[in-house]
Amino acid sequence: MGSIAAMPEIARVTLRQLLGRRRTLLLVLLSTLPVLLALAFRVAGETEIERFSRRIFDTISMTILLPLVAILFGSGAFGAEIDDGTIVYLLAKPVPRWVVVASKALSAIAIAILLTGGSTALAGFIDMVPAGGDGVLATEAQVLAMVVGSACYVSLFLALSLFTRRALVIGIGYMLVWEGALSLMLPGIANLSIRQYSLGAATAIYNLPLQETRLSAETAFLLAGVLVVASLAIATWRLMRFELPGGSD
Amino acid sequence: MTTEPAPGTAAPMPPSAPAHEPETAHEPEAAILLSHAARWYGNVVAVNDVSFSLGPGVTGLLGPNGAGKTTLLHMLAGFLAPSAGEVRVLGRSPNRDPSVYRQIGLVPEREAVYPFLTGLDYVKFNARLQGMPDADRAAREAIARVGLEDAMDRQIGTYSKGMRQRVKVAGSLVHNPQVLLLDEPFNGMDPRQRIAMMDLLGELAEAGRTILFSSHILEEVEQVGTEILVMVAGRLAASGDFRAIRALMTDRPHTIAIRSSDDRKLATTLMGDPAVFAVELTKTGLSVQTAQLGVFRRLVARTSRDAGVRLLEVVSSDESLESVFDYLVGR
Repeated sequence: MGSIAAMPEIARVTLRQLLGRRRTLLLVLLSTLPVLLALAFRVAGETEIERFSRRIFDTISMTILLPLVAILFGSGAFGAEIDDGTIVYLLAKPVPRWVVVASKALSAIAIAILLTGGSTALAGFIDMVPAGGDGVLATEAQVLAMVVGSACYVSLFLALSLFTRRALVIGIGYMLVWEGALSLMLPGIANLSIRQYSLGAATAIYNLPLQETRLSAETAFLLAGVLVVASLAIATWRLMRFELPGGSD
Repeated sequence: MTTEPAPGTAAPMPPSAPAHEPETAHEPEAAILLSHAARWYGNVVAVNDVSFSLGPGVTGLLGPNGAGKTTLLHMLAGFLAPSAGEVRVLGRSPNRDPSVYRQIGLVPEREAVYPFLTGLDYVKFNARLQGMPDADRAAREAIARVGLEDAMDRQIGTYSKGMRQRVKVAGSLVHNPQVLLLDEPFNGMDPRQRIAMMDLLGELAEAGRTILFSSHILEEVEQVGTEILVMVAGRLAASGDFRAIRALMTDRPHTIAIRSSDDRKLATTLMGDPAVFAVELTKTGLSVQTAQLGVFRRLVARTSRDAGVRLLEVVSSDESLESVFDYLVGR
């Protein structure tokens, strides 16, 4: 079996690990929130792109759902195995470390997209698509933002989890302080904000009626690509040097 | 097995264990080689200047908890780089070279195995990552070797501790590795399972595999490995044939604490016997040192009866394995 052939095996185990955790159920529940709100808006007859984008997409999906889901899956892809010691079964194999990192990252990105993109697509379908052609484009743009955001958050926090066991805490801090507060107050840090990469990428499809989009689509895709590639390269480098503790002995 | 005691360590080297410089390092047949290997974490030295080489056969790595056994095994498995010295497995440095795992099987000490996989799926997972052409057949064969066929379709989360150990062993030998490293493999196994596992290790050794397993239980090592390495506080305290080391352990001085109706009188009578080489009056009674435990037990019964002293308590105060190890280091 070539090295690449190990990927589905590692991905399968990673998916079962991530999906089997109790917190995943909470994330699934959280991802239904935009859908339920979209339903409520629809019932109230408010099928307007701008209102949906501001109140549901921006306030909940972009600010809470995307970072929380992607940070949890990103930091958990290796974190869970490091915590319980099963990482040793992956490391004691003749599989190049980049294959291990790529398998874990792809698994975590896939389920993050499934939850965040799925939730956004469904909510948009309920509340914006009835608004016509622009509604379809706005929904597609929002789903693209989730795809780009999932890839960035997962890659960054997957790499971080190989350096510290506090990757999740740091991730939540980043989400609240950096993305939540500082990026609003200091427009200059847009180049260092995953939220801005996601919103910027979305403009490739549709200019969402959100004031704070600061990056062009080209710049956003470029920076997001650099972040993902650099994070996974650092993760591979780190995994090659990863040391298991001596244990109780 | 060849060894070299660490400088500054009074390591007893049984006559059957030829000790020489690890120029044997350059002998091609040494599957495992450590040359002045050390590993420290900050100021804590976990493994200190350890040298030995191993060829095919079963070797037990014996030592109390905290002796550095796991650190040593992790160095051999390539999961820890030595802070100093050299570690080689099959002539290569195992650190940062994943391809070396084609020839190494590892059973870690930690119990955790993917609980959501069945035993068969777990062993197949190992076989596939090892690149086995027929992973299913290799997995079934490995499971049969550890006698887990009846439970192989159950999730590992439902396994007992002993079954988890066996499925870990099956996963580690599914690719028929040349070197097998096992960290406390008998933990949680019942006596029948232990015997079966010991037989399996023996078979693998006869087939030319190099097997190193760690244990903190003397009897486990006694039953499997004729060659042993004893580690204490990060150092190699003794190495060689088990029987010679066992003799060192049983012939060591024992300290016996005694309480009686007349400690002073009993002390005077005991002092006259050659089996006793030190007697001390303590706050609670007597502390007696002897090198011949069996002889002393008979002696104390007879002497106290003859002297008309009633024995209230006779306790061997240093029977723990740690004290045995301490003795070996101090020699």
